[in-house]
Amino acid sequence: MTNSVRLESGGSVIVPIRKPLTDELGRTLLRDVGEMISRGNREIRIDLAGLEELDSPGCAWLIRAVRAGKAAGAEVKLVGAAGRPAELLELMRPNFEPLPPPSPRPGFLERMGDRGLTVWEEFRQALGLVVDALYWSFIAPLEGKGVRWKGLLDEIQAMGSSAIGIVCLINFLLGLVIAMLSAAQLRLFGMEILVASGVVIGFARELAAVMTGIVVSARTGAAVTAELATMKVSEEIDALKGMGLSVSRFLVAPKILAILVSMPILTILGFLSGVAGGFALGIFSLGFTFERWWWQTHQAVSMGDISQGLVKSVFFALIIVLVGCHNGLRVRGGASEVGKATTRAVVMDIFLIIVADMVFATIFYYTT
Amino acid sequence: MKSPIIKVRDLKAGYGETVILEEITFDIHPGEILVVVGGSGCGKSTLLRHLVGLQPPLSGSISYWGRDITRMEEDELGRLLHRVGLSFQGGALFNSMTVGENVALPLEEYGIGDREQRRILARMKLNLVGLGDQGRRYPEELSGGMKKRVGFARAIAADPEVVFFDEPSAGLDPVIGAGLDQVILELRRLMDLTMVVVTHELYSIRTVADRILMLDGGKIIFIGTLEEAESSDHPRVRQFFLRQPDRGIGNRE
Repeated sequence: MTNSVRLESGGSVIVPIRKPLTDELGRTLLRDVGEMISRGNREIRIDLAGLEELDSPGCAWLIRAVRAGKAAGAEVKLVGAAGRPAELLELMRPNFEPLPPPSPRPGFLERMGDRGLTVWEEFRQALGLVVDALYWSFIAPLEGKGVRWKGLLDEIQAMGSSAIGIVCLINFLLGLVIAMLSAAQLRLFGMEILVASGVVIGFARELAAVMTGIVVSARTGAAVTAELATMKVSEEIDALKGMGLSVSRFLVAPKILAILVSMPILTILGFLSGVAGGFALGIFSLGFTFERWWWQTHQAVSMGDISQGLVKSVFFALIIVLVGCHNGLRVRGGASEVGKATTRAVVMDIFLIIVADMVFATIFYYTT
Repeated sequence: MKSPIIKVRDLKAGYGETVILEEITFDIHPGEILVVVGGSGCGKSTLLRHLVGLQPPLSGSISYWGRDITRMEEDELGRLLHRVGLSFQGGALFNSMTVGENVALPLEEYGIGDREQRRILARMKLNLVGLGDQGRRYPEELSGGMKKRVGFARAIAADPEVVFFDEPSAGLDPVIGAGLDQVILELRRLMDLTMVVVTHELYSIRTVADRILMLDGGKIIFIGTLEEAESSDHPRVRQFFLRQPDRGIGNRE
C-alpha cells in the first residue's frame, strides 16, 4: 500500500505516501516500517510530498511510525511535507518526552504509617469539629451570640416532623414482631401476658432509641452529609470561611440544636408506637382485654427505663449530626466523592450507634 | 457560498411561561467562526443549550445539515452529536477519570482507533492546549483555567465538524487566552472547523470572529462582521464595542 519502496545507499529507505492517510493505510505503514527495520534499515524517511490532506488520525499514524522507529533503534523521519499537512503536523506533533514514572508502591511499614497518620489526622479534624460545634450550639448562645432561628426551625421541620410517619411505622411493626416472637415462647408456660412487659421494657430501654437512631441516621445523617459535601465541592464552604464566618455556627450548630429537639420526641413517639404494636397483638390475637394489657404494661415499666432510652437518644442524635457534618466537610473532589462520603457517614453512624448502645448497656448493667 | 451547516428558524425558548429567547433566526456556514455576544442573562447560554439539543425549544426549528434536531429521536440526535464538539464553561470534566482518559473518552465511545491511537490522539489534543504533560493527573489537581483547556481538548478530540465553545477564554490569563484564540484560528484554517464561540472578551472577538451575533433582551439585535458591528448605530451594539457603561450597572431600561 505504501507504493514503491526505493532503496538508497547506506541502508536508508524512502517511503512515499501519495494517498490520503486513512486508518487502513496507517496500519500498513506501521507494519511496513516495522518490517524495514527488522530487515536492517536504520534510516527510514517517510516522504509526504504527495500528501494533500491530513487529519489528526493521520497525524497520529505518522507519529506512531516515528515512535516505533525510535523504540527499535532506527530513525524514522517525516520529510517533504508541505502546505496544510506540514502545518497541521507541526501544530499537532506532541513532544513525547517520557512521562515521569509513577512513584513506586510504598512498603508495608510506610503504608501502615501513612494509614496511622490519616486516621490520626481525621481524628483531630473530628475533635476540632466536635469542640467547635458544641461551643456554637451551647455556649455561644449563652454568651449572647445569636442562634439562627429561621435555620433552626427549618431543620427541625426537615429532621423531626417529616420523619414522624416512618419512625412510628417502623417501631409499630417491630413491636408487633417482638410480641409475636415472645408470645410463641411464653405460650409454653401459659404466661402470654408477660409479652406486654417484655415489649414495653424492650422499647423503653433499647429498641425505640436504636431503631429511631437507625432510621434518622439513614434519613438525616445521609442528608446532612450530602448537603455539606455538595457545598464543599461547589466551594460554598470556602465562601463562608472566606467571609470570615464560622461553618460550625452557620451550618453545624442549627443542625445539632434541631436534632437534639427532634430525636427525643421521635424516640418517645417510636416507643409509643412499639408498645402499640404489642397492644395490637395482645388484644386482637392473644385475646386479652385492653385494661388487663394496660395494667401489665403500666406495672412493668418505670420512669427509669424510659429515661435510659431518652439519654441514649440524645447521644445518638449527637453522633448522627456530628458524623454527618464531619464526613461532609472532609470531602474533596467531585460528585462521586459526595456519594462515597454519604455511604461512609451512614455506615459510621450505625456502627457508632451500636457501639454507644453497648457502652450504655454495660454501664446500666453494672450500676443497677 | 456553501449551504449552511446549521439553520435556526424562528426559535422561541424558555421555561414554561418564561420566554428567554424569541424570534431567533440565523445560519451558520461551514468553516466560519460565529461569535455570540451579549450582556449577562441575555440568553447566550440558553441559545447554546438549544443548539446542541440539551433542551427542547418552545417553538421553531434547528437543523443540522438539513435535518431538524428538535424533531429527532434521542439516539439519532446522539449520533449526530458525534460530529459536534462542546466545551463547557467550567470544563465539565469527569472527576473520576484522569485528564488523558477524559480526552480519550469520546474517541473510545465513538470507536475511533485502537488504544495506542487514542492515546496519541488524546496526547496531541492536550498538546494543542499546552497540557501535553498533564495526561496522568486528575481534574481535581488542576486549576480552573487548566480544566477549561482540558475541556477544550476533549471537545475537539474526535475531530468534530462543528464546535461550540462556552466562554473559552474567560478566566484564563491573557497570554493563555490569546494562545487559545490562536489555536481556534489554526484549527479552523487547517481542519475547516466550524465554530460557535460564546464570549465576553473583546480582544478575543476581534481576533477570531468572522461574524458576530449579538443578543439583547432575548432577541438578535445584530448579526454581521466586526466592521459592521463597529460602525453600527444600534445603541446597545455601540455601547458594547465602545465599552460604554450603563449609568449604574443594573439600572438598564
